[in-house]
Amino acid sequence: MMSAAAPADRTAEILRTVEELLIEVVGDELTLTGPITLATSFNADLELESIEFVALAEKLQQHYAIDFVAWISGKQLDEIIQLTVGELVEYVATCQS
Amino acid sequence: MARFLFVVPPLTGHVNPTISVARALEDRGHQVAWVGHPGAVCPLLPTSARLFALSEHAPAELVAQVTDRARTTRGAAALKFLWEDFLIPLARQMRPGIEGACDEFAPDVMICDQQAVAGSLVARRRGLPWATLATTSAGVTEPLAGLPEVARWLRELYASLEREAELEPAPDGERSPHLVIAFTTEAMVGPRDQFPAHYRFVGPSFAARPETTPFPWEALAPGPRVLISMGTVNAESSGRFFATTLAAFADPALAGVQGILVAPAAVLGDAVIPPNVIVRPYVPQLALLAKVDAVVSHGGHNTVCETLANGTPLVVAPIRDDQPIVADQVVAAGAGVRVKFGRVQAPELRAAIRAVLDDPSYRAAALRVRDSFAAAGGPAAAAALLEGLS
Repeated sequence: MMSAAAPADRTAEILRTVEELLIEVVGDELTLTGPITLATSFNADLELESIEFVALAEKLQQHYAIDFVAWISGKQLDEIIQLTVGELVEYVATCQS
Repeated sequence: MARFLFVVPPLTGHVNPTISVARALEDRGHQVAWVGHPGAVCPLLPTSARLFALSEHAPAELVAQVTDRARTTRGAAALKFLWEDFLIPLARQMRPGIEGACDEFAPDVMICDQQAVAGSLVARRRGLPWATLATTSAGVTEPLAGLPEVARWLRELYASLEREAELEPAPDGERSPHLVIAFTTEAMVGPRDQFPAHYRFVGPSFAARPETTPFPWEALAPGPRVLISMGTVNAESSGRFFATTLAAFADPALAGVQGILVAPAAVLGDAVIPPNVIVRPYVPQLALLAKVDAVVSHGGHNTVCETLANGTPLVVAPIRDDQPIVADQVVAAGAGVRVKFGRVQAPELRAAIRAVLDDPSYRAAALRVRDSFAAAGGPAAAAALLEGLS
């Protein structure tokens, strides 16, 4: 899923930051079932609640100045259901390049 | 005198509010009938009610499927499932029977529950005046406003029904352009000037239902009491939440507070029940609500309305569908605290319960909502509005 524009170390760095932001939003127990990877899905794996999506959007806005809500708003229902952490990381990388 | 036909889905919460409205119409000299699935609808209606029966085969399967999937599906996946696998097939299944009921009953006005989507198709085909019943207060909100692609998907699903019914596509065609009656008030959904003029808020429509479930009233303690009810559909999937609740009540901070937990014993396993908690598989909810000081709920619209009608504050832990929206309305009204169903831990739940019991602002807000319900007119106001369509 990763674009060629995002080198591996950059990807890993964004993934770590996204994981930190998610833990700030959700709490420590988020990682009890294992580390968050690029393949982790927001709906099926993390079971993110709607208020957590809103909180995550605020954190991404503060940290990366990206508009998560606008990004999600362009998505189809199936894309939202299957949305992975990797897609978010790729989007952050694209915004920064 | 006019003839009013109610179109209802095979869902208890959507049939109950029609009963008092129908009685109010009859009191005003009108004739009423229902069209729906007898297995689900008949037990709820008065014995004298006239019901045009839809075929039973498909909905029984559909409802079983829905109940099953509802236990495991949440979030966006639940939205997809609700429409693609339930409401749209249900509409296809219901439409011919509704046409037949209209041929026989010749209604002057159709009153269509928002989830009985086929009602809107038949009313539009026949050019009849019709009203939409928004049974839940989430029904008048626009939850997809920020998700244009998802809104397009939903419009296309309805458009496929319009094409089958040989109707010209209409924007928002599943909601009546004449009258949308919502069983809520501005205290819950916000100022009415943000809604179209034909949206009318009449407050909840409670059916006077006989409560025969036994309850050990003598076991109620004199101190503050909290009812914990997560809805019948969700009881099986609420094991973690119930365990958290028991842990919260075992803490000294809630020592003087009694919890009445509605849960099947099997879901609790071998959990230790603290002495200040009563566990019952079913309760006479209306009678009990008059005797508790706070309610912990999944945010189902009926339980929330019945709680607020008592002026009682809530802790809401929404699970799916309209529940997050209803929960946000409770919080916005100041009448409760929201916690996360899937993740809340005992200290946070305990603090939320203490907050709604101790901070008088929650009760004051719940009393404001109660007063708004009482002033909204209820079923009689709905009947007067419906009369205006005939």
